[in-house]
Amino acid sequence: MVTMAPHRSLRLLLASAIASGIAATSLTAGHPAQADEGDKAVLTVAVSQSVDSLSPFLAQRLVSTSIHRLTYEYLTNYDVKDARPIPGLATAWKASPDKLTWTYTIRTNSTWSDGKKATAEDAAWTFNKMMTDDNAATANGSYTANFEKVTAPDPRTLVIKLKKPQATMTALDVPIVPKHIWETVGDFSKFNNDKQFPIVGNGPFIITDYRVDQYVRLKPNKTFWRGAPKFDELVLRYYKDGDAAVAALRKGEVSFVPNLTPAQAASLKSAEDIKVNDAPGRRFYALATNPGARSKDGKKFGNGHPALLDPAVRKALFLAVDRKTIVDKVFQGHAVEGEGYIPPRFASYFWKPQGAQKLAHDPARAERMLDEAGYRKNSGGKRVGKDGRPLDFRILCHATDPNDKAVGKYLQEWWGKLGIGLKVECLDNVSDPWLKGDYDLAFDGWSVNPDPDYVLSIHTCAALPATPKDTGATDNFICDKRYDELYAKQAVEYDPAKRAQLVKQLQSRLYDTGYMNVMAYPNAVEAYRTDHIRSITTMPQAAGNLWGQDGYWSWWSAQPAASGDDQDSGSSAGLLIGAGSAAALLLAAGIAFAVRRRSTADDRE
Amino acid sequence: MTTASASAGAVVERSGTATAYPRYLAGKLGGAAVSLFAVLVTSFFLFRIIPGDPVKAMTQGVPTSAEQLATLRRQFGLDLPLWQQFTDYCAKALTGDLGMSYQFRAPVGELVAQKLPATLLLTGVAVVIYSALGLWLGTRSAWRHGGLGDRLNTGIALTLWSVPSFWLGLLLIIVFSVGIGPVPGMFPTGGMESGDETGLAYVIDVAHHMVLPVLTLVAVGYAQTLLVMRASLLDEMGGDYLTTARAKGLRDDLVRRRHAVPNALLPTITMIFINLGHVAAGSILVETVFSWPGLGGLFYQALSVPDLPLVQGLFVVFAGAMILMNLLADLLYPLLDPRVGR
Amino acid sequence: MTTRSLLWRRRRDSVARFWRRFRTHRAGLYGLGALALIALVALGAPLLVGGDVQSVTNAPGTALESPSARFPLGTDQFGRSLLGLLVWGARVSLAVGLLAAALSVAIGTLVGILAGHYGGWFSTIVMRITDWFLVMPSLVLAIVLATVMSRSMWTVILAIGITSWPTTARLVRAQTIAVESRPYIERATALGGGHGHIMSRHVLPNVMPLVLSQTTLCISTAILTEATLAFLGLGDPTVVSWGGMLQDAREAGAVSSGHWWYLAPPGIAIAVVALAFTLCGRAIESVLNPRLGAGR
Repeated sequence: MVTMAPHRSLRLLLASAIASGIAATSLTAGHPAQADEGDKAVLTVAVSQSVDSLSPFLAQRLVSTSIHRLTYEYLTNYDVKDARPIPGLATAWKASPDKLTWTYTIRTNSTWSDGKKATAEDAAWTFNKMMTDDNAATANGSYTANFEKVTAPDPRTLVIKLKKPQATMTALDVPIVPKHIWETVGDFSKFNNDKQFPIVGNGPFIITDYRVDQYVRLKPNKTFWRGAPKFDELVLRYYKDGDAAVAALRKGEVSFVPNLTPAQAASLKSAEDIKVNDAPGRRFYALATNPGARSKDGKKFGNGHPALLDPAVRKALFLAVDRKTIVDKVFQGHAVEGEGYIPPRFASYFWKPQGAQKLAHDPARAERMLDEAGYRKNSGGKRVGKDGRPLDFRILCHATDPNDKAVGKYLQEWWGKLGIGLKVECLDNVSDPWLKGDYDLAFDGWSVNPDPDYVLSIHTCAALPATPKDTGATDNFICDKRYDELYAKQAVEYDPAKRAQLVKQLQSRLYDTGYMNVMAYPNAVEAYRTDHIRSITTMPQAAGNLWGQDGYWSWWSAQPAASGDDQDSGSSAGLLIGAGSAAALLLAAGIAFAVRRRSTADDRE
Repeated sequence: MTTASASAGAVVERSGTATAYPRYLAGKLGGAAVSLFAVLVTSFFLFRIIPGDPVKAMTQGVPTSAEQLATLRRQFGLDLPLWQQFTDYCAKALTGDLGMSYQFRAPVGELVAQKLPATLLLTGVAVVIYSALGLWLGTRSAWRHGGLGDRLNTGIALTLWSVPSFWLGLLLIIVFSVGIGPVPGMFPTGGMESGDETGLAYVIDVAHHMVLPVLTLVAVGYAQTLLVMRASLLDEMGGDYLTTARAKGLRDDLVRRRHAVPNALLPTITMIFINLGHVAAGSILVETVFSWPGLGGLFYQALSVPDLPLVQGLFVVFAGAMILMNLLADLLYPLLDPRVGR
Repeated sequence: MTTRSLLWRRRRDSVARFWRRFRTHRAGLYGLGALALIALVALGAPLLVGGDVQSVTNAPGTALESPSARFPLGTDQFGRSLLGLLVWGARVSLAVGLLAAALSVAIGTLVGILAGHYGGWFSTIVMRITDWFLVMPSLVLAIVLATVMSRSMWTVILAIGITSWPTTARLVRAQTIAVESRPYIERATALGGGHGHIMSRHVLPNVMPLVLSQTTLCISTAILTEATLAFLGLGDPTVVSWGGMLQDAREAGAVSSGHWWYLAPPGIAIAVVALAFTLCGRAIESVLNPRLGAGR
């Protein structure tokens, strides 16, 4: 239905002149031959991020992992309402009393798309491969690092033995692959799983075709145990430019566009047949403060400003940040004011500072605090430390993120009023100064998973690099004893309520250090065509997002609108004008050719 | 524009001293080989000074443990000392292997081969159209130089030439893709194909997608050809032989077609070759604006990772195209112009 | 004393002669007029709009207002007046264009004169390097350089300057060789004029006109390149320039949300300035070398 059929004759006119020139090249471009299946319901999603790999053992980017969620079953899935773990390939699971052995029961009604049954043997092989082959551990090795042994005593039982207790065992985001297909793969670091289509899987969709930065095509898996998706085809189409994607949505070339800017969302709200979905996001957007970069062997490195080691300075800086203005002006209301580390969307883990602990926007208090801490203003209105060094900070910003640049402008002016200088250093790739510890402040942000273990782990001492030359998993070189104790406790706590309590304490501690100051939780702003999609499930179901869900709910649940044949209406007049102008262009070219040919022909006389 | 005309001048200057074509040919081939080698070597070191740990940059925002980072670094050969990376690179480059892209985990050569047709198609068509247009308008302008038509012609061309191509592209998208006021959106906003067509419908589909990007490239590009053609034709028209031809009683347009235009074509053709050399690199902006799946977009994307092998490979391809086309222009010039090089 | 005044008079005469001929090129005059106007606006920007126009915390309007009496060109996403930003942006765009062109022409002139004067293997090597730069795709090289260095105005100036000098070098070298073949240079050498004397006293004044026209043409290219780099996100995000405004407009999604008034003016401004410099440059070129017949 989203395919474009009409007005061929006009396009013929338009293109016939160019056609001959194109023919040769398009042949070499190798377009796969496809039968025209007529009127099928196609759901087209605009994406911009390139697929890094279609191999579940290598893929790390959101677009690739989203595709894998659609095409492979994981042991567990996340509930569409509240993201608690629910059955996936496993129907039930149980931990032994010593917390070290997990037993999963594998479902009997999941089949690979080539007809073979999916069994515990496949899961065991997948995990064992990751444990024994470094290259297969590239993408998800962190999940299996603590595994002692994985076995499949029978086709319905999977047993995982751990080295030490691990609270994330019901949130193993590892696609289980068919052993009989993947056994033959030689070098896992080079195999991208993108040569033979369709790709054998057991998720709600099956990948049928892929062209780098052009499209990924998927068809519904008719034998999917939860029921086949309703659309006849799901296409991820590439638009490297956000505006092009939005324009395509307006015209009905695509059905869904994620990551809208506030201006785009505002203009799409008034558009016909388009619904804008403004959902609480899963990201936090924070101000990271360099706590003095160091490695596990105790060596200090980097050139972070020493004044930032003073808690008073960190607090004063954050007191001068008006989070409400950031939400209102930079995000134009498409965000929620920052509080604790984990976004409110994950209600069970959400924590916010209360009473005296809270650093509300209060520039006057910031002034007082700096005065008391001994950072007086000099004659030029600049705050100067006791060592005579002025408070001039640098902030690392991602050159590709408009929000960083915008917030940077506000910070410059807010902190300027305090007498603190700020240089906004925007880089395409901030990781180099960041890893070397050569920064004072930085814009920081992570997408939080339903299980918060990872985003918490990156602030532990264990995540620091081994030596200054190494790279650790650490986010901001934070190493705090009390934080580490709490982290260790929650990592082995299997009772969800108790663990949530510990996670909240962790956030409270992190807030008090003043090294990670969350400014906002940006919303997921996306839009879809209601004349293509009749209904679709968000996650969380009440008010949630569609793209980048933790489960496959949105695309699996999407229902095609009854009749979408009229989506091209109104463009026939446009095509006429278009064809006219194109024809004029070609005519000009043709005449020019003719003139040239005539001149050469005359020459030969 | 200035680059091209200067090279054209350089060709004349250099080839003028050559005595025999084979010797001239050998010299040019040798020079091109040296240039290509220099490009290979510099591209390696040029891109090593790009700051940033590619591995950490690639995994930005993705949960990754230190062990996984180490694995990635080993897979990409980044754990080796720089000199060893360099010798590996050179050895491979000699066999035509440009390495593996970090972010796509595919051979660079394969990626380039995948994207090259799209770029060649887009810019190739554009260069052909704007060269033809420039030649035609340039000839007209020169023949009636000083007249209203000439002034209008050069004026419009210069104005369009001063317009930033990406801006023109964005405006065209607003007007003809999104639609503004009474103008409905009638062209696709980006990409190369809708993806569902086959056969002739596919060709038409691609042509439909090409209209706006080609229009942008032509509008911004044709001035150059026009001006060079106009200038060299004016140059020719001052020549003695034309006066002689006219004195012999030949009709004006015959004089123009038979004598002036063919001679004036030489510098223009040289310039067209040089434009063809720019084909690969020249469309970075237009490809970005129109989401065209070609080399230009790939380059920009590779640079922001940084995907070193891919950036290096593309740089070599871009520079190689220039070297090749310069070489062809150098080689063809004496053959086309009987006055030079024989 | 008398030789000096004679020299001055001769120079004044030649400038007057140049101006008389330049005046006959109508397009060149238009370009010059436009440039004078824009330069006036850029210099007077602090008086016209005030530096406060850049402030986000004191922005007078709301986000993305359409043109009105209060904001003739509307507002940007922070509520700042776009007309004010356009006027303010002229300063950076012009400064970058002028400095980058000056850098490029200075390198080109230096290399060209040295190569032309010394000749021999020195010239061969220098010209090989020049040729090599000439075949480098210059935009690609500029993008790479801008990526390598930190984001600032000076980075952009350097990136443009370093990648665009070879054309000038070639032209200047050819001119230098032509000048040095004139008999009076031989006389000057015989009279004991050193290399430095010849190059600075005889060659340089004679290549100056060429350098001048080359600079004018270079500026328009430099302004376009600046806009391009800023548009690709390689400019300094903390200063307001025309290219940066276009990039802001695109990042805000102005294209697809139909805010054409955000997008159109900076592009037009860039085109007008680039065109004005080109027209001037072509007029100068054809005054100096009438055979080109380009400017008319």
